[in-house]
Amino acid sequence: MACLDQFRPSIKDKVLYNTSVDVLNHHFSGLLLFKKMENEDIRIVFTNEMGFKFFDFAFDKEGRFTKYFVTPKMDKKAVVKTLQKDFSMILMLQAKGDIKQFKNGDELISSVNWTKGKFYYITDSNCTELKRIENVGKGKPVVVITMKDYQDQLPGTIVIDHKKFKFNISSQRIIENVSK
Amino acid sequence: MRKIILMLMLGLLGGLTVQAQQYKELANPAAFRETFSKAAQQIKTIQSDFVQEKELSMLADKITSKGKFWFKQADKVKMEYLQPTYYLVIINGKNIKIKDSKQVSKVSTSQSKIFQKISKITADCVQGNILNSSSFTSKVQENNLFYKVVLTPKDKDIATYFSNIELLVDKKDYSVSKIVMQDTSGDHTTMTFIHKSLNVPLADEVFSVN
Repeated sequence: MACLDQFRPSIKDKVLYNTSVDVLNHHFSGLLLFKKMENEDIRIVFTNEMGFKFFDFAFDKEGRFTKYFVTPKMDKKAVVKTLQKDFSMILMLQAKGDIKQFKNGDELISSVNWTKGKFYYITDSNCTELKRIENVGKGKPVVVITMKDYQDQLPGTIVIDHKKFKFNISSQRIIENVSK
Repeated sequence: MRKIILMLMLGLLGGLTVQAQQYKELANPAAFRETFSKAAQQIKTIQSDFVQEKELSMLADKITSKGKFWFKQADKVKMEYLQPTYYLVIINGKNIKIKDSKQVSKVSTSQSKIFQKISKITADCVQGNILNSSSFTSKVQENNLFYKVVLTPKDKDIATYFSNIELLVDKKDYSVSKIVMQDTSGDHTTMTFIHKSLNVPLADEVFSVN
């Protein structure tokens, strides 16, 4: 457990990421905002640069998910489920209690139960570096996420790579006050 | 996104602080429409900085963006976001170019329809024809300083995203001083144009999409 604590994004107020999305043959970009609310929920809002909002989700401190808004064209059960899982893996809110750890070569794997299946947080054997996060289905990775370049316990880059179809999300942290 | 563009266009015409004063129905809306349309037609080019504020009502927060804006009659628009991240949109007639911090994109066919619609709306706003647009119903009110034009979308696509768009038109010169786009989700985006220059020479190359 202590191993993963250092990699769990510590959202104290709000964090903004410059984000690009490649889904099938489409490419678009925008701003991904994480904000910690007074009730300790984490809200996640994605808008494009011009202010058009794509979605607004929340996770409570136990990792329970709420969908506040999804733009109609995107509001499909499979899309929302996929994003819920992606952000659950990133926020690591479930990765606090029942964690099983085992070694695989020079890697330490921390296994966390999720609603369906498991998330695997893969570090080096000394747990100094988070190499990747995987969700596996039928023995093959379904999603692989990398979070690197940590600063103030927040990843500088987040890359989400879905293996079953082309759907990649790449985010770079913007270090500035987003509200003026 | 299109709404944003359109709001930008509208907003580029002004940057005055809006004072909270009571608005009342206009006695002669036809005269306003005619004067507004004529004044806007005199604006051949616009070059401006802009500040965009996306108010996220449920988060009690906002995202502020800044950039530069260009317009040239009849159908050329360029918006370059510089903060908090780089983003460029050029609409040149039916051609659209988008460039973000990673790559230049060609807009997909389905998106293109949307952009064309936005382009038309924005051009109509700048040219003062928006009040005659079949995509909106409009209501005009006034106070001492401003005319407030409230545009309600009739177009189904636009209505999916916007409940209304407000333009504040300065009574001094009939320029649009602020645009507020109300999302159907309860958020709103405000575009304010500052350091605005009208009718400065702008080469067509500024709007190159190649």
